[in-house]
Amino acid sequence: MLALLFILFAGIAIGSAIAVVAQRNPLYSAISLIGVFISLACLYVMLAAPFLAAVQVIVYAGAIMVLVVFVIMLLNVEQEERRTRLSFLVPAAVGLAALLIAEVTFILYWVQVSPVTPAGNVSDTGLTASIGTGLFTTYLLPFEITSILLLMAIVGAMTLARRTAELPPGARVVPGAQVLALNIIDPTVPLDDTTAIEAHTTVEVAKILGIPDDHDPARRD
Amino acid sequence: MDWQTLRDVVLQFVAITVAFTVVLLIVAYTVLAERRVLGLIQGRLGPNRVGFGGSLQPFADLLKFILKEDIVPDKSTRFVYFLAPVIATMAALMTMIVYPFGPEVNLPFLQRTTQLVIARFDVALLYVLGVTSVGVYGIALAGWSSNNKYSLMGGLRSSAQMISYELSLGLALIGVILQSGTLDLYRIVELQSRWHGCGWFILWLQPLGFFIYLMSAIAETNRVPFDLPEAETELVAGFHTEYSAMKFALFFLAEYINMFTVSMLATTLFLGGWNVPFAEDLFGRGTLLFALVSVIGFLVKICFFLFLYIWLRGTLPRFRFDQLMNFGWKFLLPLALVNIFITATLIFLNVL
Amino acid sequence: MTPELSWYLAVSAVLFTIGVAGVVIKRNVIAMFMCIELMLNAVNLTFVAFASFFQDVTGQLFVFIVMTVAAAEAAVGLGIIIAIFRNRETLDVDEASILKL
Repeated sequence: MLALLFILFAGIAIGSAIAVVAQRNPLYSAISLIGVFISLACLYVMLAAPFLAAVQVIVYAGAIMVLVVFVIMLLNVEQEERRTRLSFLVPAAVGLAALLIAEVTFILYWVQVSPVTPAGNVSDTGLTASIGTGLFTTYLLPFEITSILLLMAIVGAMTLARRTAELPPGARVVPGAQVLALNIIDPTVPLDDTTAIEAHTTVEVAKILGIPDDHDPARRD
Repeated sequence: MDWQTLRDVVLQFVAITVAFTVVLLIVAYTVLAERRVLGLIQGRLGPNRVGFGGSLQPFADLLKFILKEDIVPDKSTRFVYFLAPVIATMAALMTMIVYPFGPEVNLPFLQRTTQLVIARFDVALLYVLGVTSVGVYGIALAGWSSNNKYSLMGGLRSSAQMISYELSLGLALIGVILQSGTLDLYRIVELQSRWHGCGWFILWLQPLGFFIYLMSAIAETNRVPFDLPEAETELVAGFHTEYSAMKFALFFLAEYINMFTVSMLATTLFLGGWNVPFAEDLFGRGTLLFALVSVIGFLVKICFFLFLYIWLRGTLPRFRFDQLMNFGWKFLLPLALVNIFITATLIFLNVL
Repeated sequence: MTPELSWYLAVSAVLFTIGVAGVVIKRNVIAMFMCIELMLNAVNLTFVAFASFFQDVTGQLFVFIVMTVAAAEAAVGLGIIIAIFRNRETLDVDEASILKL
């Protein structure tokens, strides 16, 4: 029974992994990779690690791959073309893969004794309490370093995705300031490469444009 | 495989089928209830022609959805287009199995004591969080595969909203986890049966956590006031613009099942699950009557949450998208962190 | 027949090899990144298998750390990919392989 489940999940994992590599559309690769992650989570449950299975689905399938799918959608990535230059290597790759499978089968056939049989779901190795105990007592230093690493990653990602401070010429928007469409307010202004007006309050805007402003506290009628 | 495990597996399948049917029926009647209650809030009657008081309306709707013409956009990616509503519905339904809907009951005719939960395992709460994370894909892939830039924008906005509010949802739940010391939902409900069934977490321990959870849950399920990505007056209909007939029915169903799931989670964690105050004293532990009263109490609490959802829909206007994201990131997330801090401090000082 | 340790290690080896093949074969930067994640997951499977068969929780703790590192790497890596795309208008590593824009 367990062997059947193992063959099912391992088969889905390997099949999806081959689909990740073989698909030319990156979105299909991403979907196949989500399949790999979920089948690996099922394998973790079989290995008495339910907490890790849940964390795998939450972190990998639910967060990292959402990020990848967003990037694929936003950048509108197209399909890869089939490469023609080195296509003679494909039969060689298939041959080497067959060799790998032969080696693995050989090892599996001869090495049939494992050190300790797993206790299945009855053991309390993989439960939340034991992982929590381990993380906060013996392995506290890696845990804290990991949290600093995550902080570095957040800062790094925000820095990389930030727009630069220099605007190209002809920009009409300055972030954080009032956005003015000059020729809507005054249609006689020619549409040329003038720089944007930076103003922070309606009083300043009115002063720049030279129109009377109702919100100006200095102007009492 | 011996007969014992085979019988257990078959029983699990039967339980899952029963739960699935019950959930679908409740969700179908939630749709009807929403239309009637919204009608009453807006000063009109909802659908009341089909069946007595409109009670057969869900079946009429189902028939309409099945018989409608199925339109597929020409240049959409076919596989992903058909996969997206399946993912959304599957993720919505998969969380159903971990909620305990009744106490331990001694079945007299079978001579065994059974816990009224389909699957009890140690990391149930993380499982729920994981499955709701996977539900984001249904929406993102639907927006992409429709080959329609408004659908894409609506899908990206909706999934950005969902992943933003997942954070504060998870953090709001940490207060409950700190309180109960376990991720097992069955145990959390058992812990709320102190003080004659009045030991609900919301009342004594986690009012702030409940508020944060409720806001995040309403945003997760894309309901008013957070339903900008799918409102009809905004980006056409958002990510499900290009879906017709049965596939749209699946999205619709997935949204209502999500609502139901989130209500069940709120009931389980904050409102005491199946605990009805003083029911244990009246009926005795482990009796069938106690279990029945508890299950009915559970359903009443869920219906209260569904009514709250419908009430909010009829009353509040919707947030703009930047207001929505500001609310999630700049208000709810720091508030959830403050909640964890306060809860942890109070536990450390042995107050809680 | 219960699954032995060697079965899990075999699956992990096959997944790792597929990941390596993907990094070599694919030309799209995002697809290469996904094959790197596949390799990380293969290693995670090895750790969890050993943790289960030797009844030691250390393997699972290390998987926890690896997952966190993978998440951090994903965030920064995708930021870099977006920056590359902004500058070169292509996601093909063969075309973006010279330093000159």
